[in-house]
Amino acid sequence: MPISKRIYFYIIPVPLLIMSLFIGPSDVISSQDILAWMQKKIIQASSMDQDKFEMVEAIVFNVRLPRVLLAFLIGSALTVSGNSFQALFRNPLVSPDILGLSAGAAFGAALALVFYHLPLQVTAFVFGLLAVGLSYFLALTKRGVSTVSLILAGIIVSGIFTALLTVVQFLTDPFKLQTIVHWTMGNLHNASWSKVRSSALPILLGIIWLFIIRWRMNVIALGDEETRAVGLNPEKEKIMILFPATLVASASVAVAGVIGMVGLAFPHMVRMMTGPDNRKTQPVSIAFGGSFLLLVDDFSRTITSFEIPIGIFTTLIGGPFFVYLLKKSRMVFRES
Amino acid sequence: MSIAVKDLCFSYGTTMVLQDIELNAAEGKFTVLLGKNGSGKSTLLKLMAGLLPCKSGNINIMGKDIGSLSISEKAKIIGYLPQFHTPAFPFTVEEVVLTGRASYVFALPGRKDIDKTDEAINKVGISHLRQRPYTELSGGERQLVMIARVLAQEPQVILLDEPLSHLDLSNQIRFLALIKELVMSGLTVVAVLHDPNIAFMYADDFILIKDGTIRNLHDDEQPWNASILIDLYGVHLETMPFRDRALVIPA
Repeated sequence: MPISKRIYFYIIPVPLLIMSLFIGPSDVISSQDILAWMQKKIIQASSMDQDKFEMVEAIVFNVRLPRVLLAFLIGSALTVSGNSFQALFRNPLVSPDILGLSAGAAFGAALALVFYHLPLQVTAFVFGLLAVGLSYFLALTKRGVSTVSLILAGIIVSGIFTALLTVVQFLTDPFKLQTIVHWTMGNLHNASWSKVRSSALPILLGIIWLFIIRWRMNVIALGDEETRAVGLNPEKEKIMILFPATLVASASVAVAGVIGMVGLAFPHMVRMMTGPDNRKTQPVSIAFGGSFLLLVDDFSRTITSFEIPIGIFTTLIGGPFFVYLLKKSRMVFRES
Repeated sequence: MSIAVKDLCFSYGTTMVLQDIELNAAEGKFTVLLGKNGSGKSTLLKLMAGLLPCKSGNINIMGKDIGSLSISEKAKIIGYLPQFHTPAFPFTVEEVVLTGRASYVFALPGRKDIDKTDEAINKVGISHLRQRPYTELSGGERQLVMIARVLAQEPQVILLDEPLSHLDLSNQIRFLALIKELVMSGLTVVAVLHDPNIAFMYADDFILIKDGTIRNLHDDEQPWNASILIDLYGVHLETMPFRDRALVIPA
């Protein structure tokens, strides 16, 4: 796809972010109110009265804006992370969920919710990394890591951490239990500025890193010996992808729970549009992943009168998509 | 000498693979390693490429001890053609060839890297394949893409491990003509080949390997002598004269 067409991906997020601020279940405020609020906020001149202003501010600025930003941030993070893991493992069927990372990070985050003195982001990252590492070493044989064994290992690791998460839920008090259950469903409805603040730094750092090294992923994706022959150390390059990709995915899980299938399905949609060259997929993943998850979130909070957790939404859409990929690629059954 | 190997020994665990290897490959020549399967040819080639650690002895390439070079320094001198397998993603030919520039690139390949890629693609004669997905090409076309990737790397020495194994006759001939052309332009090429006849038709120099050691030739011996080849391959062979050399056929 030429740059002239890709430019749309980079423009779309702006109107979409603004539009999303107008969407919500509240009947108290109208679009005019929001426009007036924006006017007053930006150019400090409006006929809007102070009470109304504060009410709109409470809804739009303190509830909707952090949610919209968080949805975008997490969409970008999971798509970039999924795309990077797919290059790293040379396997278009892996994602943070399939590698067990999401379950590991969820367990870590649940621990941090129960034991207040554990730092949330750090604990999620450590367990996310542990889970990916476990999946990899379980799948590792003398002949390398095959697609099938990696997916199977991921299922096992996911299972173990999900079981451990259940143990945490079982032992915790009912009040915290509700928080944990809601959060594991993959939720954006209790987005807040503090969640944006705690996740923005690791996510942005990781994304910038993965953006800078995007071309090297093309080299890595061709094979270990092929990488070494052209002068890069594959082990070192893989670590350079593994850490930031784990960082952004576990930071997302730490604040929003497991929003399933995004890390798998979105990079595929991106590649269908741009081709496999990571010089293009990485920037488009940032823009498209963020926009698309934001759009899904806009639907999830308007389609019914009660709110469906976004993680359920994405998994219901993504599940069949995975089956479709599996059937189409037949890649799974070819040992590499 | 472009490649000089001295007192090289190598073992996988306790199995000795190569013993007291001593060889020279001349600059600007096409040298072929001949020997049976499992004689240690491919291992020797990998050692020369610096892809396996050289534990005892030393390997000098273009005057530099290979053990002292970093991975990226090695890649600028040595182009190694591995046995390539199908990548999981349908990268275009151009994108695959461009990865040959990895040792020159920090983050993104620049104008010069793209020019070198174009040059390599044109030299190999695959400009019509430029935008095609590598995964959809035939074995012969893939091999040409990989040699273009090696050329984009701008090495001084090219090492090829069984480069003809998946090619039909016409592609073999095209590939060998290209190798000849590269050698004429000053590159040093060392290849492991299965077929001694192809070697006798195209190569300048020969290195014979038997059971992990070099089979040295006396002054009155030639690599295409029947007695030498019978000893090397362990089967009965006859030779028939070909130009100033000979070809072998099963007896």
